[in-house]
Formats: sequence, C-alpha cells, structure tokens
Amino acid sequence: MPNPRHTPRPTPGRRRAALLAVASTLTLCAVALTGCAASPDPHTLTVLNSATDTAEHAQNQKFFDRCGAEYGLKVRQTSVPATQVVSKALRMASSHSLTDILELDGSDLPAFAATSGLEPLKPLGVDTAGLSRGALSMGSFQGTFYGIARSVNSLALVYNTDLLARARVPVPRTWDELLSAAKRLTSGKTYGMAFSATPDADGVYQFLPFFWSSGGDEAHLNDLKGAAALNLWKTLISDGSASSAAVTWTQQDVNDQFLAGRAAMMVNGPWQVPALDAQTKIHWAVATIPAPTAGGSTQPPIGGTVMTIPRTGHRDRQALAAKVIDCLNTERNQVAWGEAVNNIPTRTAAAAEYRKDNPKLAGFADAVATARSRTALVGAGWPGVQTALAQAFQSVLTGSAAPERALRRAQASVDAASK
Amino acid sequence: MSATPVNRTPRGRTPYRGATSGSGARRAVRTAAAVLVLAVLLFPLYWMIDIALQPGTGLAATDWFPVHADWGNFRRVLDSQGSSLLTSLLVALGAVAVCLALAAPAAYGLARFRLPGTRTIVFGTLITQMVPGMVIANAVYSSYVDLHLVNTYLGLILADASLGLPFSVVLLRSFMAALPHEVIEAAWVDGANRFTAFLRIVLPMSRNALITCGLFTFLFAWSDFLFALTLNTTDDVKPITLSMYEYMGAHVDDWGAVMATAVLAAVPAAVLLVVAQKYVAAGVSGGALK
Amino acid sequence: MTTSAPTSTALVPPRPAVRRRPTAAWLRWGFVAPAVVYMAAFFGYPLVRNVLMSFQHYTPKTFFTGSAPFSGLGNWRAVLDNPLLGQALWHTLVFTVGSLAGQFCIGLALAVFFNGRFRLAGFARAVLLLPWLVPMVVSSVVWRKLLDQDTGVVNTALQDVHLAHSPVHWLSSPSLALLSAILVNIWIGIPFNMVILYGGLQEIPREVYEAAALDGAGPWQTFRRVTLPMLRPVITVVLVLGFMSTIKILDLILALTGGGPADSTQTLGTLTYQLSFQSLDFGQGAVVGTLLVAISAVFAVFYLRANRAEFAGEQ
Repeated sequence: MPNPRHTPRPTPGRRRAALLAVASTLTLCAVALTGCAASPDPHTLTVLNSATDTAEHAQNQKFFDRCGAEYGLKVRQTSVPATQVVSKALRMASSHSLTDILELDGSDLPAFAATSGLEPLKPLGVDTAGLSRGALSMGSFQGTFYGIARSVNSLALVYNTDLLARARVPVPRTWDELLSAAKRLTSGKTYGMAFSATPDADGVYQFLPFFWSSGGDEAHLNDLKGAAALNLWKTLISDGSASSAAVTWTQQDVNDQFLAGRAAMMVNGPWQVPALDAQTKIHWAVATIPAPTAGGSTQPPIGGTVMTIPRTGHRDRQALAAKVIDCLNTERNQVAWGEAVNNIPTRTAAAAEYRKDNPKLAGFADAVATARSRTALVGAGWPGVQTALAQAFQSVLTGSAAPERALRRAQASVDAASK
Repeated sequence: MSATPVNRTPRGRTPYRGATSGSGARRAVRTAAAVLVLAVLLFPLYWMIDIALQPGTGLAATDWFPVHADWGNFRRVLDSQGSSLLTSLLVALGAVAVCLALAAPAAYGLARFRLPGTRTIVFGTLITQMVPGMVIANAVYSSYVDLHLVNTYLGLILADASLGLPFSVVLLRSFMAALPHEVIEAAWVDGANRFTAFLRIVLPMSRNALITCGLFTFLFAWSDFLFALTLNTTDDVKPITLSMYEYMGAHVDDWGAVMATAVLAAVPAAVLLVVAQKYVAAGVSGGALK
Repeated sequence: MTTSAPTSTALVPPRPAVRRRPTAAWLRWGFVAPAVVYMAAFFGYPLVRNVLMSFQHYTPKTFFTGSAPFSGLGNWRAVLDNPLLGQALWHTLVFTVGSLAGQFCIGLALAVFFNGRFRLAGFARAVLLLPWLVPMVVSSVVWRKLLDQDTGVVNTALQDVHLAHSPVHWLSSPSLALLSAILVNIWIGIPFNMVILYGGLQEIPREVYEAAALDGAGPWQTFRRVTLPMLRPVITVVLVLGFMSTIKILDLILALTGGGPADSTQTLGTLTYQLSFQSLDFGQGAVVGTLLVAISAVFAVFYLRANRAEFAGEQ
C-alpha cells in the first residue's frame, strides 16, 4: 500500500538516490540469498496473471515466447490464484513495481482504469479492428479502450443427450419449457437442472443470462424486472428440479454433478470442455440458454481476462509490451489460443473460424457473439452491484426474502455504498 | 546448548497416569475406543487420500474405497513439488529459529525482571494476535519493497516468525515464571550475569517448552499461505502452499493432485510431530502447575 | 503459577551486587527489546496503519497515487449503518463461543482419555494432530464434499443409521450453515486443544491424585476437585489463544460457504474481506478490522484483570 515518503516515484532527480539505496542494500540482498529485482531487465517483460494451473501456465508461456521472440524479448509470468490478482496488483502498484502486462478479469478492469493507472491501448498501437462488440465493451472504460481479451467465454446450456432422449424431452427453448423439462428429467438421484448460485462473482455470472433476458437492469435493480429471473431459479428449486445445494455449488461442482449423471442439464462455460471430453460415459451437447418466452432472445454475459498495460513510467517497455500484446492477438494466434483454452476468439473473423473448426461448441460461440459485458452500464460500480445481486438471489433461494423485496434491498445497499 | 550445571528439570516427578492399574480388559476397551475416535476424527484425511488415488473422477463420483488405486497423482506431485517442499522446510525451520531467538529472552524478561510496562507488553502481545493477517501482509509488503526483502528467504522467514511469536511469548512466559528461582540464584552467586545464567540454566530447563513453541511455530509457518503469496512476486521462493495452486486454475481444479500434494506435504511435518510428541507433552505448562 | 509469584518475590535477593546494577538494567531491557521491536514492526505498524485507514477515503486509486484524503467519520458511519454489521457481530459471537466450547470440551475429554496408559495411546495422540497439517483450502473442500446434502458421506451415514430420514441441508440452509462452520472449526481446533491440555495433565503430580483417592473421591469428583483447578493456568492459555484465532476467522468460512447462504455465515472477518477486496472500499474494510481489534482489546483487559494476581509483583 502506498507510502509516498518511502517509495518516491523514480523521477530523474531522485534516480541517483535510488541507485545509491540499491547499492547499499545489495549486501542485504546477498544475505537474503536471492535477488533484487530492483532494476528491470531490458530484455524481459513481466506479466501478472492468474494462470497458476500448470497446463495453462505452460500454454501461456508458449504464446509469450513465440511473440516475445519476434522482438528479442523474454517474458516472465507471475501467476497468482484468480481471487488474488486484484490485491496483488494493487500492492504492486503501491510500490511502483507493477508488471509490464497486467492480465485482469474483465469485470475488474473499470476499477483499475478509474485509477488512471492504465495506459489506453490504441495510442500504443494495439490493433482493435475486427474485435467483437462485447470484447470492445469489456475492455473499455468511459469510452477508452484499456484491455484486450484474446478470447472470451460465456454460458450456455449443456445437456445430457441420453437422458433427454430417454425421457423424450426436447431441448428447452423457453423458461416454461425449461421448467417442465427439468421436472420431467428429475428422477431418483438425478436432478433435471443444475446451476451455481454461490454468493460470489461466479454465482452472479450464472444468474446474469436469466436476469438480463428477463429485462433486468443492473443499474436499476429496483425496477423489479429481474424478479422473473429470481422466480425462475426459485421455482426450479421448489419444484425439486434443482438441488437447493445450488447456493453452495461452484461451477466446478455443477460440472461434477453433471459428469456423475446427477444432473440432466446444467448452465456452464466452455472451460469445462476438457473435463467433459476426458470422459466417455456421459454424452453431451451444448444449446443456448432458454429465453423467457418463445421468440424472445437470451442475453448471456461475456467473461474472460483482458491484458492491460499499467502506467509504469517506462515508455520504451510499454511500447514493447504493446507489440507483444498485438502479436498475441493476430487472427492466427487468437484461434490457436482459443482452441488451447477452449475459449472463443474476440476477433469476429477468428471467432468464425473457431466456430467452423469446433462445431460442437457452436452454442458457446453463438453466446459470445451477442454476449454483454458486466461493466458496460455501471463501470467501476460493478463490484457493489455484484455483491448486491448475490445477496438478492441467495436470500430468495433460501426462502428468506421474496424476489421483489430482495431486489429493492439490493438497490438500497448499492445506493448506500456509493454515497 | 552446552554442558550445564542443571541439565534436567528438577520437576522429574512421575506424572499421573489415569489407568495404570487398569486390567487388561479395560485397556482393550480403551484401545478400541481410541481406534473409534481416530476413525471418526481422521475420516476427512482418509477421504483426501481416497480422492488422490482416483484420478480422472469428479469429486461427486468418488468411490468410498479406492478399488482401482492409481498412484499417478502421487507420482506427478513427487516429481514436480520436491523443491517447494524443501522451500517450505527451510522457511519453516528458519521461522522457528527467529521466533525462539526473539521469544525466549523476551518471555524470561517479562516473567522475571519486573520491568516497568510488563503488563502493557503482555497486553500488546495478546492484541497482536488480532490484527487481521491481510492487514499485516499489506503493511509488511510495502516495507519489504523498501528493504528489498521481497522474493527473499530471509523476508519470508522473518514474516512467518510473526505467526508463532505471540503464542510463544505467552506460553514461555508462564513457563519461565514458574521455574524454581533458587537454581538461577545459585548461578548468580557463582558469578554468572543474567545473560549467561539465562543461556546456561534457564534455556536448558525450558527445553520442553521451547520445543513445544518451536513445533507450533513450525506448523504455523508450514501452513502459511498469505505471507508467501504477498511477499513474493516471482517463483524464487515458493513454498508448497503456493505451488499447490499449480493444480488449481481460475475455473477448474484438479482436486486429485491437490489432495496428493496435501498428503505428501503433511508427511514431513507428521514425522516431526511424532518425534516431538513426548517433549510437547512435558513442555506445555511446565512448572506452571505446582 | 498462583503460588510462584509471591514465592519468587520473596526469594529475590536484595539486589545481589550493587556494582553490577547499571549493566543489569541495560541487560534486562536487552532481553525484551528485540521481541518488542519486532512486534512493533510486524504488528504495531500494521495496526496503526489500519486505524488510520479507517478514517481515510481509501480506494484502488490510492494504491496508484498514494494519496488517501481523510474522510472523518464517513467510513465509520457507513459501516455502522450497514445492516450486515449487526448480523456479522452476532454470527462472530456465536461462532467463537460455539467453536471454543466444542474444541475445548472435546479436546479436554480426549486429553484425559489419552492420558491413560493403553495400547496405541501414544501413537493416537500423535496421529490426532494430523488434521492440523492440512492446508485450509484443502480441508474446507473436503468438508464441503462430506457435508454435501445429496452425495455427502455425513448425510449418507446419518440416513443409514436412521438418525435422519431426509438429507440435512448442512451448508445450504441459512439456519444450519453457521452450525456446520462451527463443527468444521471444532474439528480443526481439537488437536491444538488436546495437545496443550494433555501437556497440562502430564504435569499434575501423582501424589495429588493419590491423596484424593485416599479421601475416597470418585473419578468425577477427582476431575472436578483436582484436575480442573490444577489445570486452570493451562486452560486459560488455551482459551485465550483459541479466542484470538477464532474471532477473526476468515479463510475457513470463505472456502466453506463464502459467507452465505443469504449472509448466514457472514462474520466480522468475512465482512472485512468483502468490503476491502470485493467492494474495494479499503477504508470501510479497515473500520471492521479496527472493530475486531477493539473487541479483542476489551477481552484482553478482562484477561489481565482476571489474572491480576499474576502480574501483581511486576508493575
């Protein structure tokens, strides 16, 4: 956290003093066994991301190496658990030691952009032509583009083809169909439907396609249009078509239930594809999440990480970082990356190619094409709205509040916090 | 600790044993009860191993018994997590050393010297336990950046020592307050100053309490996640609690491998526990009871 | 301990060597100073910063610019108006008292039990500490699975022995989730309590028990009249340390329920986290953190009061 007296910005006048300090602490460093990263290596770019998972880390490194090599650069990743990226980045910011590239969750971008700590990407030469509307919106704050996503994800309805066929249930397209299908598919230990309603970002992500499709507005929760979505979730559980454990199930738990044959349909994202593909017992397919009424449309959310360039004060390094980011986002690299991590490329042309190569995942690709960014309307206010929405569906699902009351209370808590 | 005039605690009484005179049958019943208690309390651990032995099965589909036990997870973890285990060991042992070096003299001073402000210091020590870890980590990080202690073993060791320090001061203080004064007095008469008397007599007499504090500090440091995460920006110093995340992604976690890591990471600490057990038993309250 | 303080006071010689006095004073402080300096750096400084922060408008921007304008009592007012605060306080109280009572009673029972001499006693004592070695992120996921209402082992077992006829909603029912969190925390805390209390039992001299037996005291009477009073100092240490680590609990609840369902497991610890790291309002988060410290300060005062005799000679 900041302490300007102790960590002066490296203005030219102070740089000599800083160097002196570095020299004097070298002895200390020797004692401390390992190195001081005091002066950045000009040939190495640094990245902070959430790719702790070995496979994802290695995949990332491959692309970084490929693009870094074009400019004679090495790229070093620092990966921390996804829930820790924001606090880690803020701490680094306070000590002026932020990495050259900062990869944030899209929903965290406005909070960072609002600090003026990020560089706008277009002036640095990052090509934004052909990016999908959702990707542009997710990477922008107040009309300026700060973060580019190589690929994005959304949510769709994944269903067990065998169970649906056996019960002669067609894939539901409307909420009414969803309710009756889920009911008919429920038998014994198998629920018709599974979703995640945890009180965190993931639970809210799952709620959004229903909330938005019913006309809900995250900036005006108390217009009560989202109540229908709350009712839908509530009915699924009170019908017994979905487990009341949804309030504690993570998206991975939901997938586990599906793979164990305990759920006939689930809401989930393309990141589950490797797990779904790794087994042969359950046959599955992807469909669009049902719309409220026949002929209506579904509004899924867009999710994923965006690469940003923090204002580190090193113009030359920022320029290099921009070049590497640009390289990562060529059409070819986007398609390759999307296939590596089962996400959908953000350049429209790349997405089309991806869709052609992976027909089974078309449901996800279609969702992304129309998906909407969580922060488009409320910007940096999203974290507060997210907490309020989570409180709303949790209290409805556990029966402690009616949908209308929960939404009014949610808006009240957003208003109170933003005072 | 070198040769000392008194090398064992003078309170060498035989501790009371509840059922020394119990019959064989009663002992057998007790043993059976003990097994039952163990089974219930350790079931979650069994479950961890069970999951680790069934790679490729989702958590919801894990069998109660690993019928087709697959050691793949353990092999994978052993191959890739060795250096992190070593780091954890080094950091935890370092933290124990720092913690004891600070806590032992302080506890003695607080127990014996009747310094002004003793109450305040003890009060402060109790309060320190309450400062949320996140707050400490954030503040320590900003100081560490200035001191160039980020990404160093020394930095992490110093920080981890804080996990056991208040506990050690409280425990050692109550232990040392109860040491028989006559023995220490005798050393003064022999011309030793307070410091040498402390080194030669108090420390050896407090051996069990020191081991207890060391053990707990080791366990606190071994399981630290927050400091390791906060005070490192590279992979240079990566204890096992962090490297475990190599099996946990933003969306999908490989619980089998995580459980295998947790089980393997528990082994060195478990060995230490078993070895230290007899000292711990004797060292917790020490002479506090008379 | 109660007897040792007066004894040692009586035994302190009339300042053995007057000529050594200046050195001694310097040396005496030398014993305490390093730890005090260390604690000031690692606890005092963060604490002061946290209190300051609670009066500042502290946002993500602050991390970049370093400036956090003072906002007077703004954060405090916002937090005190937050309807979650009252709930969180109550949950924290229930959680702390419930956890401590459970950990302590079971820990003590096990300590007494394993104090006997029988096959496996030593081994069992060591092995029972194992739960302590499991990282929280792992043990909480294991417990989440064990307590799962549909597939969890706990419900399966309860239904098999007909203790429950329908699945218990351990984690998804707002009226049970806090209890479940307490149960898991008890499981985590048993080893610590058992080890320390067992150590205390070991120190009770055999003669005392023999005397009690001669007086014809039964096992329960012996426990109440001999064991408990003799164990008092150790019990105090265990409870104080237990209180301090339980009241600020965060990671367990975060991993188990995330504060839900419907905020039924929201505690002061999770509230701080939510305000600071989800809403990114670090000033308000600091208010709750400061409240936590203040509560424990009150507790610490009571502790010192209760043990006044011990400190009597030391002022």
